Amino acid sequence: MFISRGVGKSFGSVQVLRDVELEIEPGEIVGLVGPNGSGKTTLLNCLSGFLNPDAGTIEYDGTRLDRLADWQVSRMGIRRTFQTASQPMKMSVLEAMLCGAALPIGSAPVRGLFRRKARAAEQAAAVGKALELLDFLSLSHMTEEPAGRLSGGQKKLLSLGVALMTDPKVLLLDEPTAGVNPTLRLTIADRLKDINANGTTLLVIEHDMGFIGRMCERVYVLDKGSVIAACRPDELKDNPRVVEAYLGAPRPVHVATGVSRP
Amino acid sequence: MLDFALYVATIAAVYALFALSLNLQAGVTGLLNFGHVAFFGVGAYSSGIVALHGGHWLLGVLVGVVVSSLLGAVIGRLGRTLAADYWAIVTLAVAECLRLVVVNEGDLTGGPQGISGIAGPFSSVSGLAGSLSWLVLCVVLAALAYLVAETLTGMQFGRVLRLLREEPMLAASLGHNITAEKTRVLAVAAPIAAVGGSVYTLYISYIGPNQLLPIETFLVFTMLIIGGIGNNRGAVFGALVIQLIYAGSRFLKDIFPIPDQSASSVRLLIVGLVLTAFLMTRPEGLFAEKLRRIDVHQ
Ligand SMILES: Nc1ncnc2c1ncn2[C@@H]1O[C@H](COP(=O)(O)OP(=O)(O)OP(=O)(O)O)[C@@H](O)[C@H]1O
Ligand SMILES: [Mg+2]
Repeated sequence: MFISRGVGKSFGSVQVLRDVELEIEPGEIVGLVGPNGSGKTTLLNCLSGFLNPDAGTIEYDGTRLDRLADWQVSRMGIRRTFQTASQPMKMSVLEAMLCGAALPIGSAPVRGLFRRKARAAEQAAAVGKALELLDFLSLSHMTEEPAGRLSGGQKKLLSLGVALMTDPKVLLLDEPTAGVNPTLRLTIADRLKDINANGTTLLVIEHDMGFIGRMCERVYVLDKGSVIAACRPDELKDNPRVVEAYLGAPRPVHVATGVSRP
Repeated sequence: MLDFALYVATIAAVYALFALSLNLQAGVTGLLNFGHVAFFGVGAYSSGIVALHGGHWLLGVLVGVVVSSLLGAVIGRLGRTLAADYWAIVTLAVAECLRLVVVNEGDLTGGPQGISGIAGPFSSVSGLAGSLSWLVLCVVLAALAYLVAETLTGMQFGRVLRLLREEPMLAASLGHNITAEKTRVLAVAAPIAAVGGSVYTLYISYIGPNQLLPIETFLVFTMLIIGGIGNNRGAVFGALVIQLIYAGSRFLKDIFPIPDQSASSVRLLIVGLVLTAFLMTRPEGLFAEKLRRIDVHQ
């Protein structure tokens, strides 16, 4: 279980997050929405150890995360992706996938040098898994291409694949379908549901309300750094605070389309 | 003439060790270690000082390996609190401090005069047999270093280093501890250069503080840029090219009227011109860093 209590974060004099309360049960798919600049990415940075909050606590299964480093949080089985998915230019897609695997022998410079066989066996298993995941993400034909040369949408898919190499317990996704065409977006939604069905808890930042509606049981709405709603996706359009946050005027609006009702 | 050719080849092999070591740091990991000569110096002076006290030459090499690795770890540890550019400046300062210590601790290091008359493994073998033995030893060491560097670069250890060079945030998100990895690569790369320093000292049976000047580090950087930074084969070839330029420039004064005292400046001028030519026409070097093929059929 993932819990944040009273989380606050400021940059200089700008308070980006204030008193954020969040609870995610194991196995859930939770959405995180809000207007541009409302602090979604900042919150995800705090949850993943990339930023330490100024106030409040973040806990996962009883362990405090808010003072851990990014890589320590990742090693606890909590992995994240980035809003802009950048990938290395000088690595093939397959090699980038291997970066997400845990290969203890190959990672140890001295042991790895001498234990050639064990190193190869360890890597072969990871390669098998990587190829399976690339297939699952419709990237099999790109295996030998430079990862950094993929299209924006393909990079998003690859980041997801890399993060999945160790079967994380929790995935924190920052706009996994931004810049992706509608058909691929549906594919990603399906894939995320499969991943979730295999036992991974998901927190998904998204602007596309349709996507959120299809994917999530619950959604948090951030506005100016505060949680203004935590509800089912279909309840959003009836929440005046949410409507106001998105349109700046207390007017009934269809949240999914952003169009005012006649 | 044969002797000179053997000398050039031997020194080129020694320089290949320095270049391979720096390539692991600067090429593979993106760590601009401007104090790389310090690792050479630790190896060289370990051998010199051990020899001065009558120790076996192998002991000198061993001391150099251990001390340089520790120094590498310490320098790497500084990267925990410093941004990359400041870290680069600090490495330069560390190497300069080391050189000043060497100059001033005359009792231990021979001071500005250095240590001479150092006995090496083939001291009793004279003439051509001696030169050939040295060449074989240095080429074997360079080949071994190439193998080690190439294996390290290709396995998960080097893969993570290459990832954190290009995409540090992505590396961190995958559970890789960036500062620890940087420290580890310095601790692993340093001994390769230290062995080079030891062998160099034993070969010419002399070491002095002038061999620890920052220009030596920049010369090794030049090798990497010409050979192809990030590519281990490039590092070896870069070392060879620079050594050939050095050797070739000796014959320049037979053709042009260059006074003896400016010969070394002319050499550097030529190196500078070649470097500039490469940067302008072939910035990726002789051997560009390539994608690594992963064996999928196991
Ligand atoms: N490192 C930083 N330093 C200073 N200000 C920052 C930093 N990171 C974020 N901010 C500010 O915090 C606010 C929230 O940014 P954040 O990226 O969390 O928004 P977001 O909800 O993810 O927006 P979007 O939907 O556009 O991605 C913005 O005003 C941004 O300028
Ligand atoms: Mg964002």
